Amino acid sequence: MTDYMIETKGLSVYYGRHRGILDVDLRVEKGEVFGFLGPNGSGKTTTQRVLMDIIRPTAGEAMMLGKDCQKEGVAARDRVGYLPGELSLYNDMRASQFFTMYHSLQRNNNDPKYWQTLADRLDLDTRRRIREYSRGNKQKVGVVMAFMNKPELLILDEPTTGLDPLVQQTVMELVREANQVGATVFFSSHILSEVQAVCDRVGIIREGQMVATERVEDMTRQHFKRVRFNFATTPPDEAFTLDGVTVLARDDSGITLEIRENLGVVMEMAVSYGINDIETIPVTLEEIFLAYYGKGNGGGNV
Amino acid sequence: MFRLLLQELRSRRNAIIGWAIGLTLLPAIYVGIYPQFAEDLAGMGAILEMDIYKAMGMSFGTFEDWLASTVINIVPILVAIYAVLDGTGTLAGEEDSGKLELVVALPIPRWQIVTVKAIALNIALFLILLLVAISTTIVFIAIESDVETTLVATDVLWGLLYTWPIAMAFGMVSLFLGTFAPSRRNAALIATVVVVVSYFGTNLASQVSALESIKPLFLFNYLDATASLWVDGPQTSDVLILLGLSLVAFLLALVFFQRRDITVGAWPWQRGRIPADAGKTA
Repeated sequence: MTDYMIETKGLSVYYGRHRGILDVDLRVEKGEVFGFLGPNGSGKTTTQRVLMDIIRPTAGEAMMLGKDCQKEGVAARDRVGYLPGELSLYNDMRASQFFTMYHSLQRNNNDPKYWQTLADRLDLDTRRRIREYSRGNKQKVGVVMAFMNKPELLILDEPTTGLDPLVQQTVMELVREANQVGATVFFSSHILSEVQAVCDRVGIIREGQMVATERVEDMTRQHFKRVRFNFATTPPDEAFTLDGVTVLARDDSGITLEIRENLGVVMEMAVSYGINDIETIPVTLEEIFLAYYGKGNGGGNV
Repeated sequence: MFRLLLQELRSRRNAIIGWAIGLTLLPAIYVGIYPQFAEDLAGMGAILEMDIYKAMGMSFGTFEDWLASTVINIVPILVAIYAVLDGTGTLAGEEDSGKLELVVALPIPRWQIVTVKAIALNIALFLILLLVAISTTIVFIAIESDVETTLVATDVLWGLLYTWPIAMAFGMVSLFLGTFAPSRRNAALIATVVVVVSYFGTNLASQVSALESIKPLFLFNYLDATASLWVDGPQTSDVLILLGLSLVAFLLALVFFQRRDITVGAWPWQRGRIPADAGKTA
């Protein structure tokens, strides 16, 4: 277990008899941006806390940077930037004092003023006391805290929560830039468009268990397709009544289908009606995500 | 580790100053009013020998009695309140508020976090007592000529500093409870009960012979708040017991914090177990 920046095997956490995560197997490769998706309570934060050795696993193994998160956690965390999902700061301190203090408590601190550069980019006035900040500005403090040490691995729990769209863009730029200089990024988010924009791979966790881990483009390409056909001959209403095929729209000139299976049969039928035009409509990660979760009805198969 | 200690001390600066100023008032008033009190003392003998005072371990026959029964008797109780607040606040309180997650996520071993917080807490207790002792000594010097006593200024200073071990003991017990209990509220409740029961248990056990056998269980049993303190100093065995208890509580805090799931808020026996049917419903 040394080739991955993050690797878990059979990782389980129970709170008493309540499930946190169960048998989570996760591998994050060096230099990738990995999006960790799941609804509230699915186990994202629990997984990240185990990696940071904030909570201990009930069973299984967790490794970061080739080091056991418990036994060698200090050495691993030395090279990690972490933004917790439930951020609580030292409200009596000025942001500048907080960054100076936090920087001084880290060992791998070779650029003592980098936090100022980050704060400037996020338009954060570091002279003010943290208690005076809005929620968004407190989140900016957390973002600066995670990035300020130029870590090899960033673990970010919903980093853009509470930020306005412009600042969200800046945070995503920071993620990309850190990744470009070699950092690996493991982050959870509810904003699927940003995950799709920056992530190489995504893992989806549901009720504490990993249900999918794939490259973003594979996930959006493979799971289902949405195709618009324009026909020479209008197909009858019962056409394309096949397993795994849903008619999304129909008009005089054509038909839009969501195809999960029987693609070959669909194409044969489409050809029989004379295809004038064919268009593949991109499927977003959000649609994949909702398909995994059955739009909140307990999940469904893609 | 040193930087974390500096940060911990810095975070306590206002509390140390505030508590020192607040606590200074009490001994300063008690010492300052003694000359007037001494004049009235002759006619109050019967009142001052009432059981209620005896039950509280108080005697007022001489200035030495007065000083021990008021200042030495009461200051440790008040400092114990700070010890409970700080001892339960520094780990359990920060865990409740979420700030501890930031500290634990740093590349700092947990034992260092507990050790630094324990050191900072004990330094804070010492500084509060030192400031209270200095101000009380200054007041004593001011009234010394009006008082019939064999005490000198350094006796008053040391008398108050002798209460540091019991303050440490309460601080370390509170720190341990913060690593053991699910929340600061639970830890502070138990620690407060320990302080109150210790105080009244000690005084009650001194009055009720049936309770004599359990007197060693009460921490205030190891604080000499009588005039003999000025003659003999604190009993070495008492100091060693308090320091030993502090050490044990600190070691327990290390053990329990090492195993603790931060942010979960559970008793140690509530640690998770994977049920036999795990995964069947997930």
